[in-house]
Amino acid sequence: MRRAPAVVIASAAGFAGIVAMHGAGSPSLLSGGGPSAPVSSPPTTASPSTTPTVVPTGTSRTAVGTSENYGYGVLAAKVTVRGNRITDVSVATIQTAEQYSQQLAQQVIPLLRNEVLSAQSARINGISGATYTSEAYAYSVQAALDTLGVK
Amino acid sequence: MSSLTFDPTYAPHSGRHRRPSVISRPGPAPRPVVAEVATVLAGLGFGACVALAVTAESWKQLSAPGGVAMFLGNLTGLAGTYLALVMVLLVSRIPVVERVLGQDKLLASHRRLAPWPISLIFAHAVLLTFAYAEAARSGFFGQIGAFIRSYPDMLTATIALVVMVAVAITSVYSIRRRLRREMWWAVHLFMYLALALAFAHEIALGPSFVGHPLTRFVWSLLWASSAGLVLVYRFGLPLLRTFRHRLEVVEVHPEGPGTVSVICRGRNLDRLAVAGGQFFEWRFLARGMWWQAHPFSLSARPRPPFLRITVKGIGDYSSAVARLRPGTRVAIEGPYGTFTTHARRRAKVALIAGGIGVTAIRSLLEDLPRDCDPVVILRASCTEELALASEVAELVRHRKGRVHELVGPRSEVRIDRVCELVPDLANRDVYVSGPEEFVDQVVSTALRLGVPKDSLHFEVYSL
Repeated sequence: MRRAPAVVIASAAGFAGIVAMHGAGSPSLLSGGGPSAPVSSPPTTASPSTTPTVVPTGTSRTAVGTSENYGYGVLAAKVTVRGNRITDVSVATIQTAEQYSQQLAQQVIPLLRNEVLSAQSARINGISGATYTSEAYAYSVQAALDTLGVK
Repeated sequence: MSSLTFDPTYAPHSGRHRRPSVISRPGPAPRPVVAEVATVLAGLGFGACVALAVTAESWKQLSAPGGVAMFLGNLTGLAGTYLALVMVLLVSRIPVVERVLGQDKLLASHRRLAPWPISLIFAHAVLLTFAYAEAARSGFFGQIGAFIRSYPDMLTATIALVVMVAVAITSVYSIRRRLRREMWWAVHLFMYLALALAFAHEIALGPSFVGHPLTRFVWSLLWASSAGLVLVYRFGLPLLRTFRHRLEVVEVHPEGPGTVSVICRGRNLDRLAVAGGQFFEWRFLARGMWWQAHPFSLSARPRPPFLRITVKGIGDYSSAVARLRPGTRVAIEGPYGTFTTHARRRAKVALIAGGIGVTAIRSLLEDLPRDCDPVVILRASCTEELALASEVAELVRHRKGRVHELVGPRSEVRIDRVCELVPDLANRDVYVSGPEEFVDQVVSTALRLGVPKDSLHFEVYSL
């Protein structure tokens, strides 16, 4: 094809354009590995805090994990530990992109909580049909545990 | 042989009496920049789609179970669907594009590109089923059921995939050959339906679209615009032209053994901007013929209110053309083709016609100026097969050119004799038309003799 060079160059330009517009804020393959950076394009309202916070309450300590943008929404888990034991997990913030993800999250989050509590770690199985939600949950829990210096 | 209605003689523009019924409007000139713009846009879009897949991905998701397959599934979905869009646009007959690239090249590109979108989309389905099955620790086939039951718009997407695979299978050459043309065509049209059905699941589930209203909007706009272009140029414009001109057959008369000229009468033909050498898709609204459209070149410039095509009876359809009854209505699509005077780079020309390929040459000649010094070569198996030869001779004489008739069976007449007949072939624009084998031989000979590719124009007459 005679115009092949033009097509290749244009493809590269299109690629670069989208990457530039996407920005370095949201987690992507191109912005490097590791846990997510602060969310720059939340689907609905902006989340209040994006860095892990520690609130000491007696022997119980609580931390809110990182806000994980998992494509269908953003969630941050809040973990309560007593000593070395996870005593409670809840969701500090959650926004979902649309109705379906909302329903899914509502169904799945109680199950994920049970998984974390029985596994006593963030290394859980995840729920089928809610891959992204499960991963985001697990990563947020892990970040909270890291902050608390547990596990 | 002359007709009762259509007078194919050409009265040269002598300054005094210009024949009022011959309107010289070769149609708008093609703008080559359109081809460059179109290819750049196509490339930009492709790169953007790949970037959409990459930027929606994260290292965490990649390392999750089924993560790599999920990413590849998203990538193939985006890339494959984009290429499917390109496929549709290639054959949407947008006039500015068709004038530059030509319907035959656009169809050839469409056929060449075809394996890519279908393979990518099929891979997309397999990869994502595998990926979700891995993440959910369920079986592959169980996952298919889960998709259809639990995810929005996946039922329509699955139906769309089945239709696409069916269209692809019927288009594989060895299978297409065995199908009747109308059957293949009917199945092929379902591709529009498949693409429409698949659209919903793309924006409902694609990670690049969920939660990204701007991306959703642009993607939707792209698809809506493409649908609009197809409706307007693929279906609307041909319908408009058919109704504006209301062509009907008035006469069918023989030009030689197995060859007939069909004269059609229509209204407003002075508004039909067509260049000599172009063709239309003709749909004769007669029993047994109305569901097929076949391409035939005009064998002379329109002489309002008449148009003429000259057809050689090779297959069932062309033989049926010979039996057309006056009064038969005609639906047309076109004009298409770049085998025109606009394509000319040089002042001098060589026109080489094999068999019925003479029709395009004959109408092209009318558009060529007097100083083009035309050398015309007409190739036929026997003298009776030289249809329209006297008309061609007359037109060439007015331009002070030469006609050579190469008559005889293929075993005796060698195409490379053309180099003897036209010693300065490399300095001319060469137009070749006729059956595929003939065109291939002449084109390779011409290239070997030093005719630059830009000056070589050809029109293949296929069955």
